[in-house]
Amino acid sequence: MYAYAARRILSTIPVMAVVALFVFSLLYIAPGDPAAIIAGDQATPADVDRIRASLGLDRPFIVRFGEWVWHILNGDLGQSIFTNLPVSHMIAQRIEPTLSLMVLTLILSIAIAVPAGVLAAWKHGTWIDRLVMIMAVAGFSVPVFVVGYLLAYTFALQLDVLPVQGYTPIADGIGPWLRHLVLPAVTLGSAFIALIARITRATMLEVLNQDYVRTAKSKGVDQRSILFVHALKNAAVPIVTVIGLGVAGLIGGAVVTESVFAIPGVGRLVVDAILRRDYPVIQGVVLLFSFVYVLVNLGVDLLYTVFDPRIRY
Amino acid sequence: MSITTGLPFAPAAAPELADVLPPRKRRGRVAMFVYRHPTIAAGGLLLTIIVAIAIFAPMLGTMDPTALAPARRTRAPNAQYWFGTDMLGRDVYSRVLYGARVSLIVGFSVAFCSAIAGMFIGLVSGFVRWMDAVVMRIMDGVMSIPSILLAIALMALTRGSVQNVVIAITVAEVPRVSRLVRGVVLSLREQPYVEAAVASGTRAPKIILKHILPNTLAPLTVQATFICASAMITEAILSFIGAGTPPIIPSWGNIMAEGRALWQVKPYIVFFPAVFLSVTVLAVNLLGDGLRDALDPRLAKRI
Repeated sequence: MYAYAARRILSTIPVMAVVALFVFSLLYIAPGDPAAIIAGDQATPADVDRIRASLGLDRPFIVRFGEWVWHILNGDLGQSIFTNLPVSHMIAQRIEPTLSLMVLTLILSIAIAVPAGVLAAWKHGTWIDRLVMIMAVAGFSVPVFVVGYLLAYTFALQLDVLPVQGYTPIADGIGPWLRHLVLPAVTLGSAFIALIARITRATMLEVLNQDYVRTAKSKGVDQRSILFVHALKNAAVPIVTVIGLGVAGLIGGAVVTESVFAIPGVGRLVVDAILRRDYPVIQGVVLLFSFVYVLVNLGVDLLYTVFDPRIRY
Repeated sequence: MSITTGLPFAPAAAPELADVLPPRKRRGRVAMFVYRHPTIAAGGLLLTIIVAIAIFAPMLGTMDPTALAPARRTRAPNAQYWFGTDMLGRDVYSRVLYGARVSLIVGFSVAFCSAIAGMFIGLVSGFVRWMDAVVMRIMDGVMSIPSILLAIALMALTRGSVQNVVIAITVAEVPRVSRLVRGVVLSLREQPYVEAAVASGTRAPKIILKHILPNTLAPLTVQATFICASAMITEAILSFIGAGTPPIIPSWGNIMAEGRALWQVKPYIVFFPAVFLSVTVLAVNLLGDGLRDALDPRLAKRI
């Protein structure tokens, strides 16, 4: 078990190395010569060369890559071209809204999707099952910003029960924080809910056909405990895997959801950075989110043994 | 239908099949197909309509989708401008119809390009043992960058153009396809008929072309359909946040991005492209679900 965990943790190193190389190359081949920009219009080519040398931009790719990785390991993601602030500082300022949104979405999605999937599998072939499946296909097909505008239009503009846009920090109270995040979380969760509900239904259908479920039924175990204790626990591994993989979609969706609902998070930061071609910021955000994604899936893999003790590595 | 036994005497009281089973209703070919594959039929029909709209956009009562007319700014939908006009006076109906072209071109191109590239990489890595580990580590790395962020990062490097959007989304989709193809190849090369081909001295290229490739086509087609759907959404998202198709080209994402500032007072500018995009993606997803059920019954049972 510990040997497996160690091996699994070590296996993320090459993945992270590829991500780092990819993201570094991004800045390396980015158009525009930073030295020429700093030097300005009046500079002679010799001046530009001198600035380039002083910034260390004339050294070979591999040396600069090594230095860049070293900086990152020390928590230094470089400086924004636009604001001259450290990128890590800019991200830290924006991380709370994004983290709040994603955690809330995750909780909400699982709370809706898993029972829905279980119900659909239990009532297999009935109108309930069909309804859940139709909602799932629709959730996949309607893009996240369309869901966002639809919800905001209905619940904020027409019914006037929730705020249209914006964000309140959690320090200002749980109530306002939650009120601002409900619509964005449902929006961001729509595709995620569809995904989890589908896989839950599929695995539950498989599990409910197993002999031990029939045995439990025949000895009179009540329905709810068959579904949620006997069956769901055995269906957990594929469901948890899909949740882990779905986090990638959640990250991408957060970028859009933050734009729709004017939430000042990391997603907005990257959207603004694109418009300004602020490459270090884009690089920092991509790197951060990719590492989060890798770590989430590492966690999921290590969780397998908790859900299914039969799995021994 | 009667049972002929070929014996000189008839067996006693063998029931006629027609008595046991009710006579099968005869259906036309089309009706039969719709009955057996309702999702393929529905998705296919919807998609055909959208493709027709895209191709025949100039003949469907549209005007120049980029023509500015400040005098008729932000008109609500009416008899003359069915979907209203935007803040520059452009006809939203015309823009939405022409916008179908961008979405379909991006969706189909990305599906095609990533299928081809993924197939090539998957075949190589499934067949050439020493390359497998390296190629798959690279694919794992690229796959762990969330695809929209990857596309955003690539778009930030280049000028916005439809071609660059296609490339950026393709790069993000290729790893998944190549993993799929590699998986199929790895399971196929253990099959007895492939071993038999190897044993009888068939050369590798011929084995790949005749024995492996045809078997990857079914899962690849299904995967390509889903990629097409997600590529259309990604294109819209990229355009929406200003990193996609250049604003001068009417695409659904661009129309929504432009309507964004006004959506609380003029929701129809966002509404119409949103409906078209959702219906198109739904059509492709239905087609994909149906194809998966039809082509890969094993997978269909699981999901």
